[in-house]
Amino acid sequence: MSPTQPLAIATALASLYLAGCSTLTGTAHTPATPETVVSHYADLALATYQDALTTAQRLDIAVDALLDNPTEQTLATAKQAWLASRIPYQQSEVFRFGNAVVDDWEGQLNAWPLDEGLIDYVDTTNYQYELGNEGASANLVANSRLTVGGEALTVNTFTPQVLADLNEIGGSEANVATGYHAIEFLLWGQDLNGFDAGNGNRPATDYATGAECTNGHCDRRRAYLDAATDLLVDDLEWMTDQWSPNIAGNYRASLVADEASTGLQKMLFGMGSLSLGELAGERMKVALEANSPEDEHDCFSDNTHNSHYYNGLGVVNVYTGTYQTIDGKLVEGPSLSDLVAADQPELDATLRQQLETSMAALGAIKSAAEAPSNPMAFDQMIEPGNQAGSTLINTAIQGLVAQTYSIEQVALSVGVNDLQPDDAGHTF
Amino acid sequence: MRHSLRRAVFLSALLSAQTLSVAIAEPQDSPAEQNARALWHENIAIGYQALATSAQALSDTATLYCDAPSEHTRQSLESQWREAFSNWQAVRFVDFGPIELDSRAWQLQFWPDPKNLVGTKARQLLSADAPINRQRVTDSGVAAEGFPMLEYLLFDAPFNQTEQALPGDRSCALLKTTATVVKDNATDLSADWQALAEHYQATDSYTATTVRSAMTALDILVQKRLGEPMGLGSSQRRLVYAGDAWRSGQSLAAAEASLSGLQRYFLPGLIRELEYADQRGIGNDLTDQFQATLARFDALPDDLASVLEDDQRYARLQNLYISMQQLEQTMTLQAAVALGIRQGFNSSDGD
Repeated sequence: MSPTQPLAIATALASLYLAGCSTLTGTAHTPATPETVVSHYADLALATYQDALTTAQRLDIAVDALLDNPTEQTLATAKQAWLASRIPYQQSEVFRFGNAVVDDWEGQLNAWPLDEGLIDYVDTTNYQYELGNEGASANLVANSRLTVGGEALTVNTFTPQVLADLNEIGGSEANVATGYHAIEFLLWGQDLNGFDAGNGNRPATDYATGAECTNGHCDRRRAYLDAATDLLVDDLEWMTDQWSPNIAGNYRASLVADEASTGLQKMLFGMGSLSLGELAGERMKVALEANSPEDEHDCFSDNTHNSHYYNGLGVVNVYTGTYQTIDGKLVEGPSLSDLVAADQPELDATLRQQLETSMAALGAIKSAAEAPSNPMAFDQMIEPGNQAGSTLINTAIQGLVAQTYSIEQVALSVGVNDLQPDDAGHTF
Repeated sequence: MRHSLRRAVFLSALLSAQTLSVAIAEPQDSPAEQNARALWHENIAIGYQALATSAQALSDTATLYCDAPSEHTRQSLESQWREAFSNWQAVRFVDFGPIELDSRAWQLQFWPDPKNLVGTKARQLLSADAPINRQRVTDSGVAAEGFPMLEYLLFDAPFNQTEQALPGDRSCALLKTTATVVKDNATDLSADWQALAEHYQATDSYTATTVRSAMTALDILVQKRLGEPMGLGSSQRRLVYAGDAWRSGQSLAAAEASLSGLQRYFLPGLIRELEYADQRGIGNDLTDQFQATLARFDALPDDLASVLEDDQRYARLQNLYISMQQLEQTMTLQAAVALGIRQGFNSSDGD
């Protein structure tokens, strides 16, 4: 629920929604048992991926409009659609750790940081790419032939499948050819402002046809962007189906058929791993301590504050069994919080308070980045000597670390003794 | 299997003072556990002191070299870097206590560094007009402050072909300044660890914290420091840059120093714990496995590049890798379980 939305309205909306939507099985009145909590967890995942899909479809439409008529206005509209698509997707990341079906899939959607020179032109003066990555400067938009990892390739056309095959080419994870950040780069371009204000500044004429084309190879760039957004929609359709209660043999079916404790373990592992190692560590601490804009998550658009905020909200969603849809409806049902409150109300109260504290801290980063006057984007917060910026980030890190400790206690409380994930051979 | 970008990062310094790994004093710890912690404290203190002493020598040698550059002083400097870096590897497993303050672990060694932030920061510092002093270096972030920056100045092959190479004025200024920062951090770390003695020994939960730190370190050693460059991790290609200390050709020497450090500074306390828990057998197994695993380094060089390029050598490295995996399993599945210690979330979970 957004902080500004009164509870009564949200609850009323939720009742309307639940009455009219048969795919979401949980209700606020279902008693919380390990089984109902895991089932409702699948409902939350479904609702979140449905929204991610809807907003990706809107992005796809906005990109088509840009390609039909490349103007600064249609480019701005496409950028807005990309920003909107990040809101549900970032909340979905809590489902990633522990659910191998998501973790094996998400590299095609949200891999970062990327060596963007693989895709299109870059300013080589300050372009930092992964050591040893032969594809880092391949520039697929400009070149139909490339050699990576001793393999010569010809790429005459871009289709969703061609891009999927190019992703992580040569075995380098920095060769991100697909997903949100590839699209972000194609819409914004490189952010060449370093620690100063401003984000990428790609002209709409990069997608013009004929003589108005800027930076060359507009036809290939247009085809690339078109294919990348199509692939994003395809991928999200697939993942949405995995969580549907109406498709036999999908991931959800196996999850709810398994021991409920396995589902609880996946929930807790997702919450803890996203909170600590990924969000607090990888996405904030590295960038801050190394003063490294290269380690900023949404570095082309400077939307990092929102990516972090909605990551944090995803953790809250899973614990409280709630999700507010992009239409403002509230999905709610039996939650981990209910389970914990029944046995250890103090622990439940502590974790809820810690989640609120973390969201307030992430909200402060978001507010600073979106301030009407003198906004401070994440890449400005990490500038050496920016005391206010580092305080904002460190406060959020501390909040996330504190809540992770309680998540470990919750695991013990609900009988999950092993927080090692079913990682399908991954290393966490 | 497809993976997203798994830029696994060693985040040992993530947890700040009031967080996860800070133990809360509990009154009912057994004398036996205090006894094990006394041993751990003493051993880690020896490791930290060795680091502080060699970092002091490194800083002194940097000044000597820049005052009188010669083949002889250069070799002394490189040798001193290897010794101090090795001493750091030996205590790198300790991810709690004073090392957590101000991201000291990253200040000493920012790693992994896939996008060569160390090289970028070096170029920025060396190419600017402003004088290179402590403030400039520490303002540049953790990538500028530690052993990897010194390693870049001493061993980076392309850099050493440039006019900026040592003993140029700016390079020497950066060398001496960074060496001083390393020395000060190592000295403070050693002193702060001594000051922690009473609290550490009186606090029961430090037992689990210490065992977890060793488990995490072994996991990072196997999965990240060896597995990633060997092409056994998120990427299936062999890539020397995914290891640490590749510029100096010390990737395997550093891994050996870390394992040896665990053997010297961690294992004795663990064995004592296991004896109190009536699990002497596990302690004996671990002793044997440490010895056998360390012996496998004898058949390998210090560097990783020549091993990744040679299938015979690579096969020997695989044997080492398997041996280390088995050691990790004994630690995690037997020793920790016998002591009732479970691994929770750790700050290297991110990818």
